[in-house]
Amino acid sequence: MRFVSCLRNFPQFLGVALAATASFPAAAQLGLPAPDSIRTQNLPSVRVPGLRPDRFAVGSRRFTLDSLALTTYRTGTLADVLSARTALHLKNYGPGQLASITMRGTSARHTAVLWNGFNINLPSLGEADFALLTISGTTQVDIQPGPASATYGNGAVGGTLLLSSPPRWGAGWRGSVQTDYGSFGLRAGNLEASFSNQKLALRTSLLYRQAQNDFTYYEQAGTGRVRRRQQHAALQQASLSQDLILRLGQRGELTAAVWLTDADRQIQPGIGTNNTNAEERDQSRRLMAGYRHVSSRHEWAARVAWFEDIINYRDDVSGLSESRVRTTQAQAEHTWRFASNASLRVGGEAQHFAAQVDGYGTRPRTENRFSGFALLRYDPQPRLRLSLNTRQALLPGRQPPLTPTAGAEWVALQTPQQTISLKASASRSYRAPTLNERYWRPGGNPDLLPEHGLGYEGGVAHVLTLAPAHLRLQTELTGYRQLVDNWVQWTPGATYWSPRNLRQVRAQGLEASTQLGWQPGAYQLTARASYAFTHSEKTKGTAADSDPVGRQLPFTPLHTAAFSTDHLWRGWQLSTTLNFTGYRYTDASATSFLPSYLLLNATVGRTVAMGPTWKLLVLAQGYNLTNRSYQSYQNSAMPLRNGLLSLRVLWR
Amino acid sequence: MKLFPTSANLPFRVLLGSAAALGLLSCDPSNDPEPTETPVVTRSVFVVNEGNFRRANADISLFNKASSSVTSPTLFSTANGRALGDVAQSMAVQDSLGYIVVNNSNKLEVVSLAKFKSKATISNLQLPRYFVAVSSDKGYITETVAYGGAGQVSVVNLKTNQVTRTIAVGAQPERMTVSGNRLYVTNSGESSVTVINTTTDAIEGTVPVGDSPGSAVTDRNGNVWVLSGGKVVYNADYTAIDYTKTTKGSLSVIAPGQLTAQTRQVDSNTSSPGDLTINGPKDQLYYTYRGGVYTVGINEAQLPTTPLIRRSFYGLGVDPQDNTIYGGIGSFTAADKVIRYRSTGAALDSFTVGIGPSSFVFY
Repeated sequence: MRFVSCLRNFPQFLGVALAATASFPAAAQLGLPAPDSIRTQNLPSVRVPGLRPDRFAVGSRRFTLDSLALTTYRTGTLADVLSARTALHLKNYGPGQLASITMRGTSARHTAVLWNGFNINLPSLGEADFALLTISGTTQVDIQPGPASATYGNGAVGGTLLLSSPPRWGAGWRGSVQTDYGSFGLRAGNLEASFSNQKLALRTSLLYRQAQNDFTYYEQAGTGRVRRRQQHAALQQASLSQDLILRLGQRGELTAAVWLTDADRQIQPGIGTNNTNAEERDQSRRLMAGYRHVSSRHEWAARVAWFEDIINYRDDVSGLSESRVRTTQAQAEHTWRFASNASLRVGGEAQHFAAQVDGYGTRPRTENRFSGFALLRYDPQPRLRLSLNTRQALLPGRQPPLTPTAGAEWVALQTPQQTISLKASASRSYRAPTLNERYWRPGGNPDLLPEHGLGYEGGVAHVLTLAPAHLRLQTELTGYRQLVDNWVQWTPGATYWSPRNLRQVRAQGLEASTQLGWQPGAYQLTARASYAFTHSEKTKGTAADSDPVGRQLPFTPLHTAAFSTDHLWRGWQLSTTLNFTGYRYTDASATSFLPSYLLLNATVGRTVAMGPTWKLLVLAQGYNLTNRSYQSYQNSAMPLRNGLLSLRVLWR
Repeated sequence: MKLFPTSANLPFRVLLGSAAALGLLSCDPSNDPEPTETPVVTRSVFVVNEGNFRRANADISLFNKASSSVTSPTLFSTANGRALGDVAQSMAVQDSLGYIVVNNSNKLEVVSLAKFKSKATISNLQLPRYFVAVSSDKGYITETVAYGGAGQVSVVNLKTNQVTRTIAVGAQPERMTVSGNRLYVTNSGESSVTVINTTTDAIEGTVPVGDSPGSAVTDRNGNVWVLSGGKVVYNADYTAIDYTKTTKGSLSVIAPGQLTAQTRQVDSNTSSPGDLTINGPKDQLYYTYRGGVYTVGINEAQLPTTPLIRRSFYGLGVDPQDNTIYGGIGSFTAADKVIRYRSTGAALDSFTVGIGPSSFVFY
């Protein structure tokens, strides 16, 4: 679904886009009006852009981490950047260890992660390990909190992350190579090369990183804090990504992408727990290809993907457990721009899972899932945008309900300086039972019902543009509420644990964010602040559910906040991130909790021109500068103050 | 770990609780023809909260019988200013000391029962399960070592708190019981009980019992009762239990000095009986089975077909003083509950403890 239009990177095409669609997708996705002036140039090739899927996500909050925000984390993972720069909470079992997300008070299984339009959550677990998603594999991360199954399919209950690598057309050859030297034996290298003209865009990115992670941490002992050195937390990680976009004539576009990730991790034992020398090898091979044909009124697209996800785990106590799931999927869609202010997209998706997992027994398990969708976007007035989407999934066994979404955005005030937009949406969502939930033996429950949610959100976005002061301030406030039913929980039975549809969970909260851009001259400042209040609790449950109602769900912080600044001045750069994570209960009765923590990171860098086409960037990064002893997940040590020195050579 | 506190330390408590009576006894023994009937007095209940695997949130909750309330939900960490460790498997008492087996921290914590301060930590065990003391000087710990292989029993010098030797036993050794100078070790990965001479630490032999023995107690006559869960067999694709191959659980009794057992099977293989517990006078057995608690006298010919309590428990304990039954609910997600029942099976009250109350020590 990530057949990215060229709009984001090529504003000069906007005139064409407007002529074709009389609307402004790029602005629409930001909830912003179109800029006053649009540069229209005599272009070598006039092209009709396709519609991004989020064009149909009217009324939902969305935000983007673009290549500028990602650039300092080039050798890191999505877990690093999301933890530092957003108010999203990730449960982190140690540096480089399992990092699982919670969005809007739901669990990690309720966040859909899409790469080039395909869901890349591990089919066995139904969630993604964000420590395995390397930044080098992608150049843009769009985040859409809230339910959106109509647009993004299975698991888009708490939110969706869209990973993509939109091309920069006509940029020629470019390249960079980076090497990192950091605390606790961290060594990393990244090589990126890209080429693009007006017909072809290529990008290759290679990453290698390793860390000993023999950091020191404090353990509470009877006599006070005892300093200890972390054992058995070393890791090696590699990633290779290759993107190709080939324009075929004026209307056709062929896309292909490969993303291979490989991580070999020692599993960090909990503080004071038995070190069983557990190790995990995670390998994901992701291949996709697509073709898109665009005319002035119609757009056809078809994509196929093949994934292989391997998780091999071993420890001294239980031995080796191997898991391999191959996912083959296809998507096809047709978009009809039947009026200048209206478009309709209909499409379908088919997925085939083939799992060879020790935990499922010796014979392979296969499962097919299908869904069909219709997405409608209609702008009755230039300042009023509406969308109505729906999807019906077909799962083996029990069916999820129809999952429609209705959204509206209205630009209530529009002056040269200020814009105020109001937005609202209502959405149903679903999550199919994971392969583990269905097939794990013993305990796997093939009769599990899909979870489904019903959510609402409303918000206001304000943009202040003071052109003389070179200042732009974007502020957004969103309130939401969602009821998730048939919530699945593993519970102990007479002989083994089994997942069951146990309860209903209500998540509600507030999200506030503001971004300031100021460029008075050579100095350039971007500052972002975001805060999330997340109240999520069980509202009712079946007789088999012994957890109390009305308590904040475990590992779900009520309060999270992030504040970041990026300063640029004549080749110098300074970035700071400050992240607050409130206390999190560790049990469903809200009895014990992990204390809140505040983390400060900073990066100082200097870019030096080495010649007409060569530049050198030196970056010094400091993490946890206040030397805070904290735990993200219960009983998992995290490093104290640590640092990283990077050297990047850029060509063009 | 219900058993050892009751079985191994009962004599001590008998002494403590009825010193006056014993004093009288010594003056005029003929006045009391049945000294073993002297009532046991317990005041406190230590509830072992297993905690969540890897999260090191195990702890002991202290329940005060007089006030019927939990006086310390997290007794160990409150007294010691640190976490107990990862997965508290069991606790036993010897003299004035408590021995807490912390399974996934591979250690045995020795605490003073008066203030619950840690006195020693015996580390580097290999997945320890249960502890039993045979005297003030000597104790034994069962250790899984690794799944699929032989387990072991470590001999602990309780004066130095050092492991003095290890004895190889069967697979997955679980609870033990002592009768005379013999230690009976249930090998739950097999169908046998290993008998160890507590004077020489030599293995005297193995007694065949039902499949998967996991708990054992010693009755007033020195007979050893062993409860086996039965071997659970799954179907070819491991999606469900194959009840045509799953064996029934059983209750075996071994006479002192014998290396054979008399075994009675329970009536159904759809549930594994477990948590064998004995009362204060050591003549009434209790166990969990088919989502309930069953009880049988040591001289009864038939195993019961109806439960005393119809409720499933993760942990079972019987107060040796008055046969009050303690059942722990194990949700492993929330602070769990313990429900108390009169000896008749009538519910009494309940109280909240930590995560996964798996056993009870009455003191």
